[in-house]
Amino acid sequence: MDYGRPTLADALAAQYVAGTLRGAARRRFETLLPSHPALQGAVREWQSRLMPLTGALPAETPSPAVWRAIQTRLWPAPAVQPWWQGLGLWRALSGVAMVAVVGMAVFVNNPAPPQAPVVVVLQSTGTALPDGAGAPGTVVASFSADGRALVAVPLTKVALQTDRVLELWWAQAEGPPKSLGLIKADGTTVLPPGRLPGGLRGSGIDHMAVSVEPPGGSPTGQPTGPVVFYGKLQL
Amino acid sequence: MNRVEPQDWPEKSRELAQLLSKAGLGDRAAFARLYERSSGHLLAVVLRIQRDRAQAEDLLQEIYVSVWKAAASFDAARSQPLTWMTHIARNRAIDSLRRAQAQPRMESTTRNEDDDRPDANESLADEGPGPLDLLGLASQKRQLSACMERLTPPQRQSVALAFFDGLSHAEVAAQLREPLGTVKSWVRRALNTLKGCLDRAAVRDTEGAV
Repeated sequence: MDYGRPTLADALAAQYVAGTLRGAARRRFETLLPSHPALQGAVREWQSRLMPLTGALPAETPSPAVWRAIQTRLWPAPAVQPWWQGLGLWRALSGVAMVAVVGMAVFVNNPAPPQAPVVVVLQSTGTALPDGAGAPGTVVASFSADGRALVAVPLTKVALQTDRVLELWWAQAEGPPKSLGLIKADGTTVLPPGRLPGGLRGSGIDHMAVSVEPPGGSPTGQPTGPVVFYGKLQL
Repeated sequence: MNRVEPQDWPEKSRELAQLLSKAGLGDRAAFARLYERSSGHLLAVVLRIQRDRAQAEDLLQEIYVSVWKAAASFDAARSQPLTWMTHIARNRAIDSLRRAQAQPRMESTTRNEDDDRPDANESLADEGPGPLDLLGLASQKRQLSACMERLTPPQRQSVALAFFDGLSHAEVAAQLREPLGTVKSWVRRALNTLKGCLDRAAVRDTEGAV
């Protein structure tokens, strides 16, 4: 058929918009439409003619589930945020004396991640800082389920001398601690991946600690300053 | 939610055009408002064609997902938003009939009462306007009554059944107990006859919308 003929285009568009063009003919028409400006124009004209007639219909209120389903389909993760940004929630845990591994499903508002991250709460050791003040509070370290990504954050700002930094360590039940990197005294630190060989379970990690170190971190590869936070894992 | 009075079509379209263009830029709040302002109408359109309410609401979901995705490509200079969205809605509803291999509906032009809607108003609406009433109402509101007079009663009835209720030619023919070819030519002639009148109504819309 020659869809370029105006009268034919118009007649087909009328039947298409009215809804009486059906089956294979309708599908063929829709396939052709994008590449035929004349057809598109005819369709638009018939839409303008016929669609306002539906204004005579009394409205029907959809159930609330429809809008919820639309949102879920369009925006499956309404709060798009990296997994560690749930830290605000974790602050609620700060008062809980807990030296253990907590497998938390804190992301109840999001589609559940394949596995919940593992959160380690490091408690203050009560050791005085060099300036005499203690380091109160806790440090929360959170591993992604595969143990590769690690984020640490002191829940209350640690008051350090300006020439001191915090360093995070991990260790097996026996053996020297190994550095996970420097962490901020007053905010969230995302640590480079791969510092925990074998991941959380493969590494044989037993405990974690935070020590006070000179700028740039421990010069010896071992903690040199006081250990101010400590947490034992029970996997 | 009230019906969209036909004379309000252009005005409502103006408001929806803004929401739609914002939605095209990813504005979810505008899209939510668009949904709020238009879903009652689109569901009404879909329900005429797909009378199973659960299926109609599923379709409504798909329709708004499409609207969101296509919002950026909506051309306000060429179409009115309500016209554009109504067409998407009708298209989906008609396609759903094809997918479901729906049997031709033999029921009378007034709704049957096997729906289980609890609300008294809604069940009233259920027995509400048949396609011919709707065509009459629409033409009255759109100053098309004189134009409709030029259609024979069977032409009016077949075009109303096809357009409002989404019946195919064959289904209209079955319902009116007339030969398929006759019905086809009724619908074609009815659309042809109405074309000029509907154009003038559309021009009134445009002028009203400026």
